[in-house]
Amino acid sequence: MKTTTVKKSDALLVLLFCLALGGMLALFLLLPKEELSLKEKRVLAAPPRLTGTELLSGRFAEDAERYAADHLPGRDFLVGLDARAAQLLGRQTAGEVYLCRDGRLVEAPAPYDEETIRRNVAALLDFAEQAPCPVDLLLVPSAGAVAEEGLPALADPYRDGEIIAAAYGMAEGRLQTLELLPLFQAAEDPAGLYYRTDHHWTSRGAQLAAAAYLASIGRESRAPEDYAVRREPDFRGSTYARAALWSLPAEELELWDCGGRFQVENAETPGVHEGLFYELRLAENDKYPVFLDGNHSLVRVRNLDGAGKGKLLLIRDSFGSSFACFLAEDFEELVLVDLRYYREPVSELLAAEDFDRVLILYSVGNFMTDSNIVKLD
Amino acid sequence: MVFSSNIFLFFFLPITLALYYLTPRRGRNLTLLLTSLVFYGWGEPVYLLLMVFTILLNYFCGLWIAARQARGRSAKAALTVSVVLNLALLGTFKYAGLFARSLRLLPGLGGLPVPELVLPIGISFYIFQSMSYVIDLYRGKASLQRSPLRFGAYVAMFPQLIAGPIVRYRDVAEQLESRRENLPQFASGVSLFILGLSKKLLLANPMGALWENLQAQPGCLSAWCGMFAYTLQIYFDFSGYSDMAIGLGRMLGFEFLKNFDYPYISRSVTEFWRRWHISLSTWFREYVYIPLGGNRRGLRRQLLNLLIVWALTGLWHGASWNFLLWGLYYAVLLIAEKLFLGRLLEKLPGLLRTLLVLLAVALGWMLFYFEDSAALFAFLGRLFRPEASGLPALHRILAYLPTALIAALCATPLPERLWARLRQRPWADWGRIPALGALLLLCIAALASQSYNPFIYFRF
Repeated sequence: MKTTTVKKSDALLVLLFCLALGGMLALFLLLPKEELSLKEKRVLAAPPRLTGTELLSGRFAEDAERYAADHLPGRDFLVGLDARAAQLLGRQTAGEVYLCRDGRLVEAPAPYDEETIRRNVAALLDFAEQAPCPVDLLLVPSAGAVAEEGLPALADPYRDGEIIAAAYGMAEGRLQTLELLPLFQAAEDPAGLYYRTDHHWTSRGAQLAAAAYLASIGRESRAPEDYAVRREPDFRGSTYARAALWSLPAEELELWDCGGRFQVENAETPGVHEGLFYELRLAENDKYPVFLDGNHSLVRVRNLDGAGKGKLLLIRDSFGSSFACFLAEDFEELVLVDLRYYREPVSELLAAEDFDRVLILYSVGNFMTDSNIVKLD
Repeated sequence: MVFSSNIFLFFFLPITLALYYLTPRRGRNLTLLLTSLVFYGWGEPVYLLLMVFTILLNYFCGLWIAARQARGRSAKAALTVSVVLNLALLGTFKYAGLFARSLRLLPGLGGLPVPELVLPIGISFYIFQSMSYVIDLYRGKASLQRSPLRFGAYVAMFPQLIAGPIVRYRDVAEQLESRRENLPQFASGVSLFILGLSKKLLLANPMGALWENLQAQPGCLSAWCGMFAYTLQIYFDFSGYSDMAIGLGRMLGFEFLKNFDYPYISRSVTEFWRRWHISLSTWFREYVYIPLGGNRRGLRRQLLNLLIVWALTGLWHGASWNFLLWGLYYAVLLIAEKLFLGRLLEKLPGLLRTLLVLLAVALGWMLFYFEDSAALFAFLGRLFRPEASGLPALHRILAYLPTALIAALCATPLPERLWARLRQRPWADWGRIPALGALLLLCIAALASQSYNPFIYFRF
């Protein structure tokens, strides 16, 4: 009697195992293949080419492995399951993104490294030396450093304050700097200055920083209540994609409209765009590129009502995209340069055009990890 | 191709199993040989030639030895040719670079060219397997294999091809001729394969990530925890791979011998090597240590034999001098145990002995891990210099602690004993199915997330 039970369960085990492997194979062959991964923002691997040379060199095997991995049936679900399993085992803080107790997803702290700070600031100082106009430096603290409440128990300490102090200390007297950390921490709802599912600042955070910057260079700014605010639902940003905890809720993204008339161009897309907000980007999961179309090597923002307000060069990372929208009405023209993609010497740009100010704006995370800052010349 | 990959799990394995079981029984060795060649040639097709050459070399040497012995003549020449050629293959493809680089250090030889050969995967395993055939045949412990297909299937058999266990020919000779694949064996193969895959993906990989992380952190605590993380990683990596190999063998109707037997509970270093990579220690004992005279020619000769065997065992693990150092480290420990340490150890309580052996083994893994002696000494310095480790290191250790505790538990026989008890229950046979299913799902999830890399700084 016992032997038949054993056989039945053995048969079921074997059947299920073969079904699982064979089923994955069948699904892989039958399911349509996506070209892009929206969550990863990258092109997925193309089918491997089966030719003699590819086969002999081993390239075919590599390509096939990439292709199989990128188009694995149920990939999103599986990645999410793995993230949940790691979280349940306590390993969540071992990753690059922390899940806070209030549901915020924040980037793990940037590493403190004096050598990096020194090297990057030195590059900025060299650049500022040759600039014909004042150069300002603004380092943006990360979400975790601004609002530490709710961080997981095993979160590494955020040393953004020390990093900013060290950088500003080296730049003292040569660059005009602006402290954001105390300003942000004193705000009414510090966590609300950053998205819950993305590492960037919210429009409220960017507006607060822009107002403080304008004040620091002696200009006036529009009061927060004087913007027409539009709310866009279903925003899921970068930290959401990286943490892969899919069950966390989406959030709203706010567009603060000052009512001005602007024309935007960038180096990669032909044509002129009317207005600061690229509405088509709102259809995506990660809606942050709605601000000036996200990352571009060079972006030019013209204020059609801004004659005589001067011209600003903004050397920036992606935090600059939403930030620039709050400066646009206060200058005649903004030129945004992203050193990760801009390959010409910035000094040539500076010599060719007549700028009134330069602002270097980096998030602390990028400032500590981006290797392109030293190439600024 | 490795077992813990999408291509193997979802393409190679289902297709191979289907082909294998659709083939009539007498053709299955051919199917096994052909699929194994695809498996082997997957990443480095060029080395298929080497594989085919190894098969033919040993097959014909086998015929030669048998022909000489049938006529009552000595087959020593045939054996010598075979052994020398096998070792020459291994020497050329695995060690030529090391020896050339080392010779360059001598004055006047600085211009010696260094051959840059990519190490053919699994060469150390299949050369040793082939040698077990010709040597056993010569000794009369195995009988001649007349079918090149069957012999090819033995040498190239994909389950143990690239990471062992080293299956002696005589242990599977009969199975090559007449094996009866059956459902209970297949089912136990499935269980063992899933457990092995889980060891690799759910335990070894996280422990590897912790080790990597802690290496970069300063301080003493992080060094110790990192060393034990690596100790766990290498065990689950290797024994997981062996479990998968044995499990796959069972799915194809083969029964291989056990390769790991909870080495980390050993109470002496001698015992450790009876439990760790058993097929390798067996191979060296049988084909090197005993032919050298083993312990039959007096103590001094025995100690020399131990030194030779462990120097070779060390170098077998990799073409770098640190592996030699690692082998000699064990030679010293084993000799000391034989001479006096063993008697001292016996007086200690069992748990303490296990901990001491574990410590010796863990330190040994550091010799194994660091190929660069400067890095090794820097790390050993961290182990013994009191220096605080800092908050990030502590956080990382705590974050991995639950995983590490599960891993440590799984390195002992306790889970197996628990299962042996639960087995008696009426629901156990059915209950294992969802448990194994869950493990497989978690493994596939871990595999999927390896390729998941969101770009933060994309453009356009």
